[in-house]
Amino acid sequence: MADNFVRAISTNEIASGGMKAVELDGQEIVICNCGGRFYAIQRRCGHMNAPLELGSLDGTYVTCGMHCAQFDATTGHALSGPVPMDLGSESLPPRVAAFIQHAAEQMQHVRTESIRAYQTKVEAGWVHVAL
Amino acid sequence: MDSESRKKALYYFHEKVVGPLGFKFTPDTELVDFLLEQEVTLEAKHGIPFCPCQPLRHDRARDMQIVCPCIPFHRQHFDAIKRCWCGLFVHQDVTDPDSLPQLSPKDVGLG
Repeated sequence: MADNFVRAISTNEIASGGMKAVELDGQEIVICNCGGRFYAIQRRCGHMNAPLELGSLDGTYVTCGMHCAQFDATTGHALSGPVPMDLGSESLPPRVAAFIQHAAEQMQHVRTESIRAYQTKVEAGWVHVAL
Repeated sequence: MDSESRKKALYYFHEKVVGPLGFKFTPDTELVDFLLEQEVTLEAKHGIPFCPCQPLRHDRARDMQIVCPCIPFHRQHFDAIKRCWCGLFVHQDVTDPDSLPQLSPKDVGLG
C-alpha cells in the first residue's frame, strides 16, 4: 500500500459521473467520480495529450473529447484509439481539405498508449491520491 | 491496447444499447467472449468494431450498418429470428440460444 498519499479534492466537488483536473506536486491528474468511487488518472490522453477531463465519463470508461480514444479509469488501460474521421459529402475549401488530409496522415503514426492510473483513497470527505 | 479490458468495455457499452431494443447478450458466454475478441481485432484494424460475421464492402454507408450492435439497421430480420446475425445478442426472453437457427432475411420472408 502506497504511503505517499496527497490530499487532492473534496468529494463533493465532483458530481457522480464527473471529472475534474487537479495539479498535485507538479503532476496533472484527473479525478473521476464513478458512481461514488473515485479514481485518478493522468490528465493527458495517451493518444495526443488532450486534457481528458474535457471528454466524457461513462461508468469507469473515459472517452477523450479530442479524437474519442478510450481508457479505463480504474487501470489506465488504453481501450481504443481515435475514431476514424469521415466528412461525408461535405466539400471543404481545398486548403482546408489538404490540411486535414495531412493531419490524418500524420495521425496514422500516432499510437494510443495506456495512461497512468493512481491509487486513491477517500478519507473524511477528501480524495487522496498516491503520487 | 489491452484486449481483455476492451472486451469488458465493449460489453458494458453494447449492453446499454441492446437492452432498450429488447435484446441481451446470449447466455452462451463462450460465444460472447469469442465474438467480442473478433470485434476488438476488427476495431484495432479499422478503428470501428464491425460485426465479425458480415463482410465489409468498403462502402461507408453500407459498412456503417454493420457496426456492432447493428440491431437497429436489421430490426425486422433480427426480431423475426430472435437473435442478431452472429448470435451475440438474443431476444430478452431467450434462454436456449442453440434453438435459434441463423436464418437469412429471405428465409423469413423479408426480401
